[in-house]
Amino acid sequence: MPTDIKLRAEIRRFDPTVDAQPRYETYEVAGQDNWRVLDVIRSIYQHQAGDLAYQFACRAGRCGTCGVKVNGVPVLACQERCKPEMRIEPLTPFPVLRDLVVDRSEVEARYEQHALTPQRATAYAGGPEAIEPRLAEELCHMGSCLACMVCVSGCPAVAERAFDGPAFMLKLRHMAKHPADTGARLAQAVDAGMLECFGCDLCTQLCPADLSPAQAIREFRREMIFGKDARHE
Amino acid sequence: MSRTEVFAEQTDVLIAGSGAAGMRAAIAAHDAGAKVVLLAKGPRRANHTRMSGGRYNAVSGLNPDDSTDAFFQDTLESGVGINNYPLARILADEAMDRAYDLESYGLAWDRTGIRKYYMSMTGGGTFVRTLGSVDEGIGITEVMLHQLHQRGIWICDFHMLADVVQDDNGRVVGGLALDLAKGVWRYFSAGAVVIATGGASQLYETSSGPAINTGDGIAIALRAGAELVDIEFMQFIPISFVYPPSARGYTLTEPAHYGMRHFDPKAEAAHLVNNQGERFVLKHDPVRREGSTRDVLARAIMLEILEGRGTPEGGVLMLPDPQVFDAFLKERPIYVKRLLENYGEGQARLQEPIQVMPSALYTLGGVRIDPWCRCSVQGLIVGGEAAGGVHGANRLGGSSMSDIQVFGRRAGIAAAEDAREYAGAGASQLEKARARAAVLEACFGRSDGVRPPEVKQRIQKLMWDHVGIVRSGPKLTETLAAFRNVREHVLPTVKVTNKSRVLNREWMEALELENLLDIGEAMAASSLQRQETRGAHYRTDFPATDPEWTANLIVRREAGQLRVDKKAIVTLDPAPAAREKIGAAA
Repeated sequence: MPTDIKLRAEIRRFDPTVDAQPRYETYEVAGQDNWRVLDVIRSIYQHQAGDLAYQFACRAGRCGTCGVKVNGVPVLACQERCKPEMRIEPLTPFPVLRDLVVDRSEVEARYEQHALTPQRATAYAGGPEAIEPRLAEELCHMGSCLACMVCVSGCPAVAERAFDGPAFMLKLRHMAKHPADTGARLAQAVDAGMLECFGCDLCTQLCPADLSPAQAIREFRREMIFGKDARHE
Repeated sequence: MSRTEVFAEQTDVLIAGSGAAGMRAAIAAHDAGAKVVLLAKGPRRANHTRMSGGRYNAVSGLNPDDSTDAFFQDTLESGVGINNYPLARILADEAMDRAYDLESYGLAWDRTGIRKYYMSMTGGGTFVRTLGSVDEGIGITEVMLHQLHQRGIWICDFHMLADVVQDDNGRVVGGLALDLAKGVWRYFSAGAVVIATGGASQLYETSSGPAINTGDGIAIALRAGAELVDIEFMQFIPISFVYPPSARGYTLTEPAHYGMRHFDPKAEAAHLVNNQGERFVLKHDPVRREGSTRDVLARAIMLEILEGRGTPEGGVLMLPDPQVFDAFLKERPIYVKRLLENYGEGQARLQEPIQVMPSALYTLGGVRIDPWCRCSVQGLIVGGEAAGGVHGANRLGGSSMSDIQVFGRRAGIAAAEDAREYAGAGASQLEKARARAAVLEACFGRSDGVRPPEVKQRIQKLMWDHVGIVRSGPKLTETLAAFRNVREHVLPTVKVTNKSRVLNREWMEALELENLLDIGEAMAASSLQRQETRGAHYRTDFPATDPEWTANLIVRREAGQLRVDKKAIVTLDPAPAAREKIGAAA
């Protein structure tokens, strides 16, 4: 049974169209220990700050649009259990639209630029397409990336170097594994800064969908050294 | 007061909605040569399709016992005979081709062999026919989104369609949208507007869909003069999460509930018990028991809760079958994780009782369309959950995924054609758009009044209590009066406390209120008229299904008043060739 608790949330407030500087506002919330961070944010909007800008849609860890930083760690607000003391901020390093909502225009432009559709040598001939069941399963696991940018936000290489980030590497690897794809995915990954990855595996630990962008990067690196055939090892 | 600023844009086809129906329409319209703009109310990935388990009904030919005729028959039986037959037939005939389209986009359907799809059963079906993929609705929307990216289709994130704009003949010539991220109005003049904004599950206190599904497009079409059909039918999923608050109402998926019945029509589904330990479903359906259809189960559970035999949190208990865990983990790992996080390990392993409750899932009714998704308003095309007629009084599990692909594509093709034939100048209607925008700004200046979330909760409670799973004449009449009161006395006092125009949630909710109220009223009015029980529509004062009511209710607005008319169902055209003709708008 959930128990009642008092929560203290400090939220970064910033409207770039009017404010010179961001500010932090503190809210006291009466909640329950099984609440998610999103429940706390929604309660603050309902009862204390009607002008709070925040984003969510599915509340079930699927749309990937409610990413925020809680005490410095990027998470999905709808999945992260609340804590008695929280500092809630928008995902870095993205431009802020207002308060907790970031502008994803550049993120989408990158997805577009990476051409993440199977680049087919010959037109799709009608189905079922020849795919090994185990590979289909693996493709689907990679296909469940939420594009939530939690891993990109947490990646130390992204913060310091010219690297698109783990999520994009995962999607490129997804395409590289697709049997119909003929795209130069390894070259794309390298162009997008893959070699800047430190191999710290933080992306895997942060991923709300339990995926491993780090593993995708390791596979690309193996491919660089041993060639394409090594990918099914 | 200064003139409301509206930025003018131009396109051939304007699509509202970033779920699969909208995206499939965008792909089809683009491939037919049209310039397309797609409006997403939130970020483009915030849509209902993405939340779906992605189960997809189609006749693949891999089960020799199944056929498109059987799929069609299942659809009619589930719809209790009031489906629009031509639409149901098209669904059965075209679903598989659209499943192949998704595969061509890069979706890897689950397989048991290199060229053999994995298939299962979902609610209401009689054959093993349903396809799926481990990445569920996420995978479907993701491969489609990259197709839009590849085509360079202009996607406007955070753009809420506020209304369509019509010329003096009533033809739709564009759409007025609020760019929520910038807080500015944009008028897109267009040769055709596609409504693919999904359903109105947000009308209810407990719902499964995303928070933005407030039925905007359905209400916009109704205001523009379109007819709604079957709008009294709202599908409730029987099995959804009870807590934590953010997850309340989110679908708990069928494999956990179906147990071995997921693979074998003769097997038992998980038992449902009340707080006395009684298997209450037996009172309602002694034959199919817990394997019954969604409408029967949702009603059975709701009655137990209403009659005080639920859990303290407001649910009942499901006793899952641990035998099915390995298959469940393999097929639906995302749901296993949700169970683990929301309830605990015992529940995730299907070893302990799971609390469940019904939740508003799918708007069965919607805008009345023809086989090419045209409605009675020229230039307006409607596809997906926003349209009505395909599923009738109840929907087969796994049929919405095929519906949105099949009719999304048809909507896109028809829109491209209508845009090509349109010779007028939508841009000349900018002043009409500006006038409408000025009205929608009114809530900004008010100092006294009520905040939009409070009004929304009031509507949601009325709908859940009286226009939900259990309905009656007196309560529906009472609700209609309450809605009139909200419209006349509360809506004009709605105030926005937020002074910023950028991402102003209160303002967005204020715009949603009118849409919610328009559809809520239509639902209550048609529910009152339908004096029987059928499919998802249950009347305590008319508990039997009446053959006299094997008919559709059509709702439209005349001079601001709702009109509800009973009409004969649309059966199959005796000349099948005519179904394939795109033709001009009726």
